[in-house]
Amino acid sequence: MRSQLFRSSFGCLLTVFGPFPASCINKAVRQTAAAVPHSYYPRKTMHYQTEQRGHPNSPDYRIYFKTSDGKYISPFHDIPLTAESEQNDNVPAKKPKSENKVLYNMVVEVPRWSNAKMEIATKEPLNPIKQDVKKGKLRYVANIFPHKGYIWNYGALPQTWEDPNHKDKETNCCGDNDPIDVCDIGAQVCSPGQVIQVKVLGILAMIDEGEMDWKVIAINANDKDAEKLNCIEDVRKSRPGHLEATVEWFRKYKVPDGKPENQFGFNGEFKDEDFAVEIIKSTHEHWRALVQKQTNAGGIECKNMSCCNSPFQFSADEARAVVQSDHIKFRLSWTCDLKLGLSCREKSKQSKENKSLTLQGKHHSVHDAESFMRS
Amino acid sequence: MSFTIEERGRPNTQDYRVFFKNADGKYISPFHDVPIYANEADNIFHAIVEVPRWTNAKMEIATKDPLNPLKQDVKKGNLRYVANVFPHKGYIWNYGAIPQTWEDPGHKDSDTGCCGDNDPIDICDIGNKVCSRGEVIKVKVLGTLALIDEGETDWKVIVINTEDPEAGDFNNIDDVKRLKPGYLEATVDWFRRYKVPDGKPENQFAFNGDFKDREFAIQTVKSTHEFWKALISKKSSAGELNCMNTSVSDSPFCCSAADAEAVVKSACAFGTEEPIPNSVDKWFYYEK
Repeated sequence: MRSQLFRSSFGCLLTVFGPFPASCINKAVRQTAAAVPHSYYPRKTMHYQTEQRGHPNSPDYRIYFKTSDGKYISPFHDIPLTAESEQNDNVPAKKPKSENKVLYNMVVEVPRWSNAKMEIATKEPLNPIKQDVKKGKLRYVANIFPHKGYIWNYGALPQTWEDPNHKDKETNCCGDNDPIDVCDIGAQVCSPGQVIQVKVLGILAMIDEGEMDWKVIAINANDKDAEKLNCIEDVRKSRPGHLEATVEWFRKYKVPDGKPENQFGFNGEFKDEDFAVEIIKSTHEHWRALVQKQTNAGGIECKNMSCCNSPFQFSADEARAVVQSDHIKFRLSWTCDLKLGLSCREKSKQSKENKSLTLQGKHHSVHDAESFMRS
Repeated sequence: MSFTIEERGRPNTQDYRVFFKNADGKYISPFHDVPIYANEADNIFHAIVEVPRWTNAKMEIATKDPLNPLKQDVKKGNLRYVANVFPHKGYIWNYGAIPQTWEDPGHKDSDTGCCGDNDPIDICDIGNKVCSRGEVIKVKVLGTLALIDEGETDWKVIVINTEDPEAGDFNNIDDVKRLKPGYLEATVDWFRRYKVPDGKPENQFAFNGDFKDREFAIQTVKSTHEFWKALISKKSSAGELNCMNTSVSDSPFCCSAADAEAVVKSACAFGTEEPIPNSVDKWFYYEK
């Protein structure tokens, strides 16, 4: 019994599948991208939907992305980096800092306080979100006391890529072959696959197992503090302890798995938002080179719907074929949408393993996951 | 000895109740009918889990309601959710109570100088497992903290679930300091600050916030058991407390299984959960 715990926003995320009439099959509950605060110039906000396949907390689980008119897209390649831009070819124009600050789209992978290591599958067509697997086991990040799971909503900026062929000048490390990572310090707990607009506040130069792994610090533009947070120093003042906790978390989070502590560039200091924007821009350029085949893709799946000069561009039909060839049977996924008239209890009976993907700590049983859901 | 629960009403609403049943399927009171001891000779106690670790809903044994089900505390007309005080998320242990104990408000504690808070004695289970609401576990007592919560004595007994794989390594409060460094400091910090986001002041402690050891804690628990015996035998005034029970045969409050069943049947039917308000996710930051 569960699931309402995970927020009405989560309720917006879930999709109902199963042996239902065709009219229901593609029914996806709409999730809207966050509204832009009124003090910014009005922007067209994109709406993205998600479609789940398989069971959460299993290796077959996937979250595919679609536009509001139902076309499948890649969250890596087809969601614009900046919120103002609908065409991903446009580099955002420089705007005066005091107003109309650029907002970035963030693809949320891991909700705050959850443990399942959900990631954009960079090597699968359409790059759905899936749970990372290590040594044949689903990966759950440890709880590093006093922390419970992740201590921010964690995800990625689309249309960015930390190029493994590129060595960072400061750290002498090469990129980790992934989109650039973001930590959203906003109060709302988001859902996996949710696309939010964020304001960039700073950046941490983490070196994860020898690879450059920048961590952008940002805040959901919808957060009530978003307007008054403009730089990393503002974060330090309004959220005392959180930045220190962030460094410690990244330093130690793999130690329970037998890995060493991670290192950092710049002595573990956070760089400010201007520096962060430069790093983001350079990873955006690396990404552009990637999809335009100017650089070695190295296993990355570059299929996309929207990048005009990309040799990897493919059609809506081809995209649909990718999702439908995912042989994982449609399963009734749990939903919080009371309008559908399904009780949470019914759903939890259906599949014992169909638990919140955001819950399970490494040492917790399914029973424990259920108990955590009650709050 | 095993116990099960029966949920009534809708979770996260004011109607929600968790009733308890014994191994024969008869309704019981978790306050009065679950034996204090799982093993008296070894000082293994039962504990009722009210709040699973990492959750926020302030579930409590309803001491004033017949059969004392768990229900969510209500303050100023609103369901109560404990704040997340950075770096913590909800409660940092499984939190609950030892049955057949009572912190008598008519008794001034000589250590704290304060009267009891009129509730069973509270426990914090430091085991790894996240228990479920209403779970009845067996625990080893390791020590205790003397919280003075809004001017009332409110002992927090530190315990470990005997089923924890590491339970054998924990025999006293120093073992907790050694094997789970930072946990006891975090515990004091949590209790000191957890009501500040609700506009209350920081809490105080007796003994400078030091933890007393296992022996002291066991004596404290036993003394609250004596207070409870006086309560259930009507030697002490119950006040508004409901002492209805099905197993304390010489208690004037003892009732039949049928009476107990009638109480449960009159509760709302079980239903779907209400979503938890997003405001519960807020993280409160402030300098210590």
